[in-house]
Amino acid sequence: MPKQRDPEVLDQNPLDQKKDENGEQPLFGRFSRRSFLSQLGAASIAATTTTLAHAAPTQAPAEAATEKAVPGAVPITLKINGQTHKVMLEPRVTLLDALREQLQMPGTKKGCDHGQCGACTVHVNGRRVNSCLSFAIMHQGDEITTIEGLAQNGELHPVQAAFIEHDGFQCGYCTPGQIMSASALLKEPIGKEDADVREAMAGNICRCGAYTNIVAAVQQVRRTA
Amino acid sequence: MQTPETQPSSVIGTAVPRVDGRLKTTGAAMYSSDYSFPGMVYLVPVCSPIAKGRITKLDASAAEKMPGVLRVMYHGHAPVMYRPIPGSDDAFVDETRPPFEDEVIYYSGQFVAAVVAETVEQARAAAETVQVEYASESPNVATDLSDGWGSLADTSHRGDAGKAFAAAPVQIDETYVTPVETHNPIELHASVAVWDGKKFTLYETTQSLLNHQAVMAQFLGVPNENVQIVMKFLGSGFGGKLWPWTHAPLAAATARELNRPVKAVVTRKMMFSNVGHRPRTQQRIRLGATHDGKLVSLQHDYVNHTSMISDYDEGCGEATPYIYSTPNLLLRAAKAQRNIGPPTAMRGPGAVPGLYALESAMDELAIKLKMDPVELRLRNEPEKDESNGKPFSSRHLKECLTTGVEKFGWAKRNPAVGSMRKGDLVLGWGMACASWGAFRMAAQVSVALNNDGTARVSCATQDIGTGTYTIFAQVVSDKTGISVDKVQVVLGDTSLPAGPLSGGSWVTASVVPAIAAASNAAVHTMLGIAASTAGSSFHGRKPDDLAYTAGRIHAKDQPAMQGVPFEDLLKQANIRSAIGNGKSLAASDDPNAQKYSQHSYGAQFVEVTWDPGIARLRVSRVVSVIDVGRVINLGPARNQVQGAIVMGVGMGIFEETRYDPRNGNPINSNFADYVVSTSADAPEIDVTFLNYPDLTLNEYGARGVGEIGLAGIAPAITAAVYHATGVRVRELPVKIENLMMA
Repeated sequence: MPKQRDPEVLDQNPLDQKKDENGEQPLFGRFSRRSFLSQLGAASIAATTTTLAHAAPTQAPAEAATEKAVPGAVPITLKINGQTHKVMLEPRVTLLDALREQLQMPGTKKGCDHGQCGACTVHVNGRRVNSCLSFAIMHQGDEITTIEGLAQNGELHPVQAAFIEHDGFQCGYCTPGQIMSASALLKEPIGKEDADVREAMAGNICRCGAYTNIVAAVQQVRRTA
Repeated sequence: MQTPETQPSSVIGTAVPRVDGRLKTTGAAMYSSDYSFPGMVYLVPVCSPIAKGRITKLDASAAEKMPGVLRVMYHGHAPVMYRPIPGSDDAFVDETRPPFEDEVIYYSGQFVAAVVAETVEQARAAAETVQVEYASESPNVATDLSDGWGSLADTSHRGDAGKAFAAAPVQIDETYVTPVETHNPIELHASVAVWDGKKFTLYETTQSLLNHQAVMAQFLGVPNENVQIVMKFLGSGFGGKLWPWTHAPLAAATARELNRPVKAVVTRKMMFSNVGHRPRTQQRIRLGATHDGKLVSLQHDYVNHTSMISDYDEGCGEATPYIYSTPNLLLRAAKAQRNIGPPTAMRGPGAVPGLYALESAMDELAIKLKMDPVELRLRNEPEKDESNGKPFSSRHLKECLTTGVEKFGWAKRNPAVGSMRKGDLVLGWGMACASWGAFRMAAQVSVALNNDGTARVSCATQDIGTGTYTIFAQVVSDKTGISVDKVQVVLGDTSLPAGPLSGGSWVTASVVPAIAAASNAAVHTMLGIAASTAGSSFHGRKPDDLAYTAGRIHAKDQPAMQGVPFEDLLKQANIRSAIGNGKSLAASDDPNAQKYSQHSYGAQFVEVTWDPGIARLRVSRVVSVIDVGRVINLGPARNQVQGAIVMGVGMGIFEETRYDPRNGNPINSNFADYVVSTSADAPEIDVTFLNYPDLTLNEYGARGVGEIGLAGIAPAITAAVYHATGVRVRELPVKIENLMMA
């Protein structure tokens, strides 16, 4: 397969490599809201930094620099994609909102916030979990894997590659959840048939209806695994 | 057909992997609610639990004291917002009322207040404490739309349909109902609004960048150039994200007032109230036919509901005037107001519910005639569009039918009800026709050939999951010989050349001529550069004597392989990019296109299984034969039709938004109670594209593929259900209760 091009990466202009007021590089076009990026290794920033000219507000509001602590927040340590993150979070923050809004990892998607659609699926200790139904504070000490951490050293996970090959998505919004579900499913004791995969993946809704291709992608990986 | 068919390269019409596949499978694709900015705050609306009445008291004092709360907004305490101009074609919006404009409640879920706080948890908690008292009135959410029958207005007619019906030897007169359906893209509607003191940069969930810009500028009372809309990836829309909804002006106006970036993401529950839906329809079809199955009269009357603050016409007669031959036809439309949020276009608006009614009636007519339903369609194939006398640009409905018959194995069908079995299961086989308009809108595209051998193509249109990014790369590659992986596609930003909205299945047909023209113009620019660059081997030659073949510039009398790569010439000239711009003309402004009746067609064949022992109905198999002109990218095109069929299964047997008659609340406003198809519900699907180019639209002959696949699925399902059980379901969705009474 030809090397995929990133239409956003290609949109970048080197002159627009702006930094926020903390001197931080934007990550996937986002500025970190708090200082989490400092806890990421420099290499991982270099690997993932893609500047979008439009993502940088021309004037960063002053409030950001002197952000107040959130009342009731407690220190929490999360291990995500092999990296340790020490954060201050209220106990009521879901794992999903922690990932998306606090840790700047929005690859995990919110579709319903009620555990009904599967878009927020992540791995907790290798098992698939709806991150919207789980509080972040419950996962100290757990190994959490998100869609951002599935590929290793730039090499796609076989499920990711199979989704591309079989066109297992349209809009792509449920796709991180589908892929996290499918990659966990590889280790689950389910039958060999397409119908078994259809049942086992029924918790991940694809409103675009790409199920035929999703099942084909999952089955290809299962047959070759 | 005046445009000669060009022979595109193999990059057109094959299955080209999506250029954004890696981004979408690694979590790197940025959807609008994924953006975060320094100092960003969160907006959470408070929704009305009643559907009709007035706010009598609103107490925000507790919320205002909650930790992290910056602002509570409500009537009299709202940020500055204006009304968009009503009826504007280039600034279209279903709900023109800015939030909090008055204290009247028009529908359940209406925003009555909103809380802005430092974190989403703080905003959510504070929103719960806003105390609102209402003078509630009994809402009208009645499902019987018969109150609309009195205001029917003609929208198409020919001959004397009433007289011909009365005299027809065989008659069908039935009423069909489609329920409220909610689009339910998995991506929640969202706005991330950034204001820099003058200009707004708005990250929106939109299928229509430029319309969104125009509407937001009017809501905010600023010129268009002060509003930039960015939408790089959309978590699908199905029509629900065509026009802005009220969270968007609220977020932007709040960002301006607070001078902080604002993120507003609606909840799944709000998706059922505040961001549109396909309205309920009630449709009476009267068919008059001869004993040998020739239609002599077709009457189609419909009512759809609309809201108290909008005037939405579903357009159920979209396909009725042209799909069959009949000398006498009458199509009439009416609306009935309900205390429900504004309805809006949903995938295949009008045609999809309209064809459910018409194709169901055709199936009933075939049964009455004791005729095969495919044969009935074949006998009523028109030679031209009888509504306007125009020839069809490219219509192959008969071949869709005959191909479908073969692929499905229709010849083995025993028409007797309940006669076909597979073990304990009763099989039902049904079919229906599909149709959807073919459109081409104006578009502008810019192409740059770069000095590193790549190309850049840009347009202010958007990829809503249909594969538009890849289509752009394919067409540029076809025209320039630059491989798809070296074409950078930039969409999703109003600062780019004006492009079409993603609706009506028209983006591909619309942008192809502009991309081709821009690519050719960039090549022309390149030849001029070659001829004018000192030191170039082409210096001093006329550009007309030069040619461009597969990335190389050469003299016309010289073999292409001896030419010079364009990037080498650009480097020599010290020019970064050779730029070309191109335009597409809207079909409505094209006299040649106006000579034709342009539509896509399809035939849907469905198998259901009914297990009477456990009362289980499944859609087990679908064969779909689709005539959408030339397919540009086979993989995503097939995916679109497969996905539309999956949605059609939902429409046929699952989906219905229901409103509590006491308070007007949508009572199944979540994915557990509003059932959409899961992978376990998806049938075995076989899609065939006939692939006849429609050259009246563009040089490749591409029409559009997004909506046609949904048309005809629901009536084919109900026809199959009748074949299995003998129960004719005339109100969707088919419920188990309907069948247990068999």
